Amino acid sequence: MQTSQYLNQMHTADKLSEEPWPEDATLYQPFEAEQILLPENASCLAVKAYLKMCNLPFGIRSCANAEHMSPGGRMTKLPFIRAGAFIFAEFEPIVNFVEQKDMAIGSFLDEDAKSDMRTYVSLVENIFTMAELYISFKNERVYKEVTAPRNGIVFPWPLSMMQNYSKRNNALRLLKVYQWNDLDIDDVIEKVSKCCETLEYKLRESPDTPFFYGEMPCELDAIAFGHLFSILTTRLPNMALAQTVQKFKHLVSFCRFIDEKYFQTRCLQD
Amino acid sequence: MSQTPPKDPNSKYDLSKIGARVDRVNVNGLLRTHNDYVLRAADGLFKADNFQDMMIEAMAAKSYLHELGIFKDVSVHIDISRGADATPQGYEITLKGNEYSRIMGSAGTEIGQNEGSLRTELTIPNVLGRGESISLQGSYSSTRANDLQLKFWKPFFHTRFRENRPEMSFSVFRQTDRYDISSFQTTNLGYLVDLSAHTMLGVDLTHSLQYENSIRDVSLLNKSVPIAIRDHCGPKLASLLRYSVIFDNRDSNVFPTKGVLLKSVNEYCGLGGNISYTSSTAHGEVNVPLFAGLVAQFCGRVGVMKETKKTTILPINNLFYCGGPLTLRGFKYGGAGPVVDGTPIGAQTFWCTGAHLWTPLPFAGVFKGLASHFRMHFFYNMGNSNSFNTDNMRSAYGMGIAVKLAERARIELNYCVPVRRQNTDKVLNGFQFGIGYEFV
Repeated sequence: MQTSQYLNQMHTADKLSEEPWPEDATLYQPFEAEQILLPENASCLAVKAYLKMCNLPFGIRSCANAEHMSPGGRMTKLPFIRAGAFIFAEFEPIVNFVEQKDMAIGSFLDEDAKSDMRTYVSLVENIFTMAELYISFKNERVYKEVTAPRNGIVFPWPLSMMQNYSKRNNALRLLKVYQWNDLDIDDVIEKVSKCCETLEYKLRESPDTPFFYGEMPCELDAIAFGHLFSILTTRLPNMALAQTVQKFKHLVSFCRFIDEKYFQTRCLQD
Repeated sequence: MSQTPPKDPNSKYDLSKIGARVDRVNVNGLLRTHNDYVLRAADGLFKADNFQDMMIEAMAAKSYLHELGIFKDVSVHIDISRGADATPQGYEITLKGNEYSRIMGSAGTEIGQNEGSLRTELTIPNVLGRGESISLQGSYSSTRANDLQLKFWKPFFHTRFRENRPEMSFSVFRQTDRYDISSFQTTNLGYLVDLSAHTMLGVDLTHSLQYENSIRDVSLLNKSVPIAIRDHCGPKLASLLRYSVIFDNRDSNVFPTKGVLLKSVNEYCGLGGNISYTSSTAHGEVNVPLFAGLVAQFCGRVGVMKETKKTTILPINNLFYCGGPLTLRGFKYGGAGPVVDGTPIGAQTFWCTGAHLWTPLPFAGVFKGLASHFRMHFFYNMGNSNSFNTDNMRSAYGMGIAVKLAERARIELNYCVPVRRQNTDKVLNGFQFGIGYEFV
């Protein structure tokens, strides 16, 4: 039983590296205008930025039940991509999948720099996702005015109420696991600004180049952009997170640069 | 031990010639039950004008009291009436009942369609004194996981619609259905209001009108599931009306020798909620007695599911699965239908028919009682999914042995030989085991 499982995994890994990137790869996400929440939007944007940086073609499908269709993940379960017969959810598994294909960015880094970069990636993912979850579900005003109506919009009453309840419960549980549940908003802002400081410091290590690691983009650029840009551009009743990020001018101009290069939404004002 | 000789119509005790009049009817043992609930038990008794009628009516009254669902057992006492206003041929009838205890519990096995399950039930009978009961039922089975149901029902047998046997029930349920073949399961949570009654306009029909409001949550059973099935994941709200009508004049539920069963279930979903479809299924069975205990049986079943104007996507858990021991023998459960990426998925329409020749077991005379629980049959099944023509239909034949289980369910062990199949079908050439109560 065990052996066959490993054989299976090996077989899958073999197949992964053999097959080229399929033309009809699709990224699934909730509806952007009406439904998507801040943490989900950030992780979706991060994955989209990563795939664009890798220059891989993909289609985007918005569906109301994207979260339920996802095979599951550590945090938001979103987005997930379907590439041929494979389905992967969330930033890290998707990056790992792409890396099997030799088209991944970040291969220019040596081993040390790579593991250094990985640390930044998981720092950014954890801190920002938690902060986004915190503001979306623990801040009463944001929850009532934005999170609950948006999450419930695809369900008829009373299902919307039950879905809001279970979604909030899951979010609070996740916050508890990462020990963010008894922080107050000032602690959260402090954590976010510490993380921004670290990022800005990293960015200024190579002041003449646009990306974190020189002339070429890597995973860190994608995930940092995804989260920072989402926080900066999402209008909430409580803009504490955005105001915190705004203080770091280098990061803001980094976001503007990535947006200009890959997305051209230009919704980030000076 | 003594045996009564058969009644001779010309015997000197012709009870129908002996005059009798019922003066008084007592119903004893009513502790929690309201008096008006049992009033109609006496209706027939007062109409009797001879001794034989009186006896028959007394028995009818006894079984009527049983049906009311308040007594564990009922006994009848007949005595001549005494007292000031007693008539010369007057009788006094006392129906003595023993009410159910406050709480009843039971545990046992239950037969579903192609599954067995363990069931426990807790009932509080006669809560309000007019036959109203509450029951809590839980069942666990290998294929369906935990089901839970809380049901309140109230019979209206004591009203003037007694003959129509009207009954009302309200239940809250949580039920999980696994569709292993398509790698998904649904969890339904909701409530159901049911009104049922008989009509006897020429033919005896059983009607049931239900309103169901439930949340149906589709989730996946494993990781590699085609995107066409994945699309259906997530909770949805269903609000539907269901009307079913049954005509049944067979002489037995499991091994009938003559009679017809017709059954039709129609659903309209989309009264609010975000699932909409209409669905109809019809099931028929005709039994014709031949010679020497042989019975020819013809069964058929048709199902059609249609979009309504509001439909965006037809719910996957309401599609029809054709194939399996209850429909098309010789195919795996759901194995005779359309597939997506190698995974079977239900069909929007299906039909299947079966022709059986039922025979008693050879040497049945030797085993007598036991043998009445067994039958042998030869069958031929035909059917198809998503197509009503016979060009590329599926069919199979074979023979097997069937066992009766508790006057309701049937267990079959068949040797099946599929004859016509399609490339994507999952066939089962050889022995197949089936358990259920509605076969084709």
